[in-house]
Amino acid sequence: MRALWKWIRWVLESDAARPLVLIAVVLVLWQIGVTSLGIPKYLIPAPSAVVDQLIGDWLRLLREGIVTTYAALGGFLLSILVGIPLAIAIAYSRTIEGFLYPILVFSQSVPKIAIAPLFVVWFGFGAIPKVIAAFLLGFFPVVVATVTGFKSVESDMLDLARAMRATRLQVFRKISFPHSMPYIFSGLKVSVTLSVVGAVVGEFVGSNSGLGYLLQMANGNFDLPLMFAGLVVLALIGVLLFILVEVAERVCVPWHISQRMDLSTAMY
Amino acid sequence: MMNLRCLGILLLSLLVLLTVATPSAQAQQRDKVVLLLNWYNYGEHGPFYLGLARGFYQEEGIDLEIQEGRGSGPTIQVVGAGSAQFGYADVGTAIRAVTRGAPVHFVGVLVQTSPMGLIGFAEKNIREPKDLVGKTIAMTPGGAVDTIFQAFAKATGLKEGDYKVVSGDATTKRNAVIHGQADVTTGHINDQNIFIEDATGKKVQVIRYADYGVNPVNNGILVHKDMLTKRADLIRRFMRASTRAAEGAVQSPEEATDALLKANPKAGKREVLLAGLKATIPLYHTKHTQGQRPFRVAPADMQATLDIMVEYGGVERAQKGKPEDYYTNELLP
Repeated sequence: MRALWKWIRWVLESDAARPLVLIAVVLVLWQIGVTSLGIPKYLIPAPSAVVDQLIGDWLRLLREGIVTTYAALGGFLLSILVGIPLAIAIAYSRTIEGFLYPILVFSQSVPKIAIAPLFVVWFGFGAIPKVIAAFLLGFFPVVVATVTGFKSVESDMLDLARAMRATRLQVFRKISFPHSMPYIFSGLKVSVTLSVVGAVVGEFVGSNSGLGYLLQMANGNFDLPLMFAGLVVLALIGVLLFILVEVAERVCVPWHISQRMDLSTAMY
Repeated sequence: MMNLRCLGILLLSLLVLLTVATPSAQAQQRDKVVLLLNWYNYGEHGPFYLGLARGFYQEEGIDLEIQEGRGSGPTIQVVGAGSAQFGYADVGTAIRAVTRGAPVHFVGVLVQTSPMGLIGFAEKNIREPKDLVGKTIAMTPGGAVDTIFQAFAKATGLKEGDYKVVSGDATTKRNAVIHGQADVTTGHINDQNIFIEDATGKKVQVIRYADYGVNPVNNGILVHKDMLTKRADLIRRFMRASTRAAEGAVQSPEEATDALLKANPKAGKREVLLAGLKATIPLYHTKHTQGQRPFRVAPADMQATLDIMVEYGGVERAQKGKPEDYYTNELLP
C-alpha cells in the first residue's frame, strides 16, 4: 500500500507524467460520462470510438496529416524569413517602425477566416493559399518577439561595445542578435502552433487534401469519431513541431537562463 | 501538496463543466418556440417570415423566434439536443443523422422536388451530363449536394475520371465558378445560381439532378422525437400556421420576401431573394403530391430519398428502416 502511494506520488510529481495523468483522467471521465449518460455519438463520440478510428484509419490520417504539416511548415518558414528581417528593420529604424508597426498590428485584428476564401480566388486550390493562411497566423508573434528582443538589449552593453570601437555589424553579430535569440525562440514557439491552425483554416476554405479537408468531410457525414481522430492528429502535429523548435532552441541558446533551469534545480 | 489541490480543483471544475454541458431535454416555457433554419437567410425562408408578419403563429398561441442556421447538419444536431424545438433542414442529411442516433423526426416537408444541381455560366455550354466530361466541378467534402452528386453521376453514366474536382466551402465553391477556377459548382438552383447571375451580370446555366430521376426530397420541418408524443398539440398548431404561411407565400412571394427583409434587412437584395423564392415555390410538390396542401409528403418520395441515402449517403442498409421511421404527415392540417 505504502509502495503504491509512493508510486502515485512519484507519478504526480514527475514533469513528464503530469500532463499524461491529466489527459488519462479526462479521457476516463469522458468515457464514463458518454456511456453512463447515454450521449449519442452524433453529438460527442466516446474516446474508445476515437481510438478505434485512429487505429483503423491511421494510414489515411497520416497521409492527410503530412499534407497539413507541409503547409504549416511552409507558413512557418515564411514567417521566419519575412518576420525576423522585418522585425530587425523595425527595431533598428524608427522611420520603418513608424510606418510599419501600426499596420502590422492592424492587420492582426483582421480575422483570417474571413479573408481566407479570397486566397483561393487569388492563388487557386493548391498549397499556396494554405501556406499563406499559415504564414498570416504565424508571422506576427515572430515579429513582436524579435522586436522586443532587439529593443531590450542593455544600453550599457551597447555603449561598452561602441567604446571598444565595435562596428555596427559587430554589435549586431556579437551582442544584439545573440541577446535576442531567446525572445525570437519564444516567438517561434507560438508561431509554429499557430501555423498549424492557419494551415487548417486554409484547408477548410478550399483544398482537395489535408486534415482540414478530412475534418470538413467527417463533419458533413456526422462522422464524429473520424473528426475527433483528425483533431488528435492535428494536436500531435502541433506538439511535435513545438518540441522540434524547443530542441532547436536548446542547441542554439544553451546559455540562456530558461535552458539552465534544469541545472539550477538539480543543485537543490 | 499545493499542486495536488490545484489538480483537484481543476478536475472538479471539469466535472461541473461536463454536467452543465450535457444536453438534456429542458423544460420549455409554454409555447415560446424557436425555429432554427438550415442556413443564413435566403429567398426560400420567406414563408416563415410571412407567417410571422401575418400573425399566423400568434393566432395559434405560438411566440415564434426564427434563427438563421449554419447548415442542415448543425440544425439537426441542435434540435436533437433539444436546444431548439423546430428545425428546418435537409431530409437526406437528417436520415444520415438519424441512423447515427439523432432523435429527430420530420413533421412536414416543404421542398419536395430537389433544387440540387450543377451551376455554371451559360457561356461554358454545359447543358447535359455528358458536357461535364473533362470539366472541373467545385464541391464541398461531405456536403449534401455533393453526396447526391454521386447518385446523379451514376444515373447519368458519369465516371470518376471524367471530371476534375476542386473542394472548398460554400463561399469558395461560388467564387470558383465566378473566377473560372471551376466550370460548375454543386448547389441549389433556387440560391447560388441567382446569386452568381446577380453578382456577375452573366447568364447562368443549371443542370438539375431531379430532371435525371435523382430526386431526394429536400427541406422540411423536424422536431425532437419526444415532442411527437409530449407536445403533439404544439406541433399541430405550428404546422397549421406554417401551412397557411406557405400557401400565403405561393400567392404572394413579394409579400413573403418583404417580410423576410423586414425581419432581416441584411438578408440580401430584394430581387435576388424574390427570384429565389419564386424558383422554390414550384418545388413544393412532386407528381405524387400535386394538388395537396404544402408540407404533405408522399411515402414514395421518402422511400426514394431513403434509397439514395443508402446507396450513396453512407447510410447502412441494416439501419435503413422504413420511410415512416423518419416522418409523419399526421400532425399536418
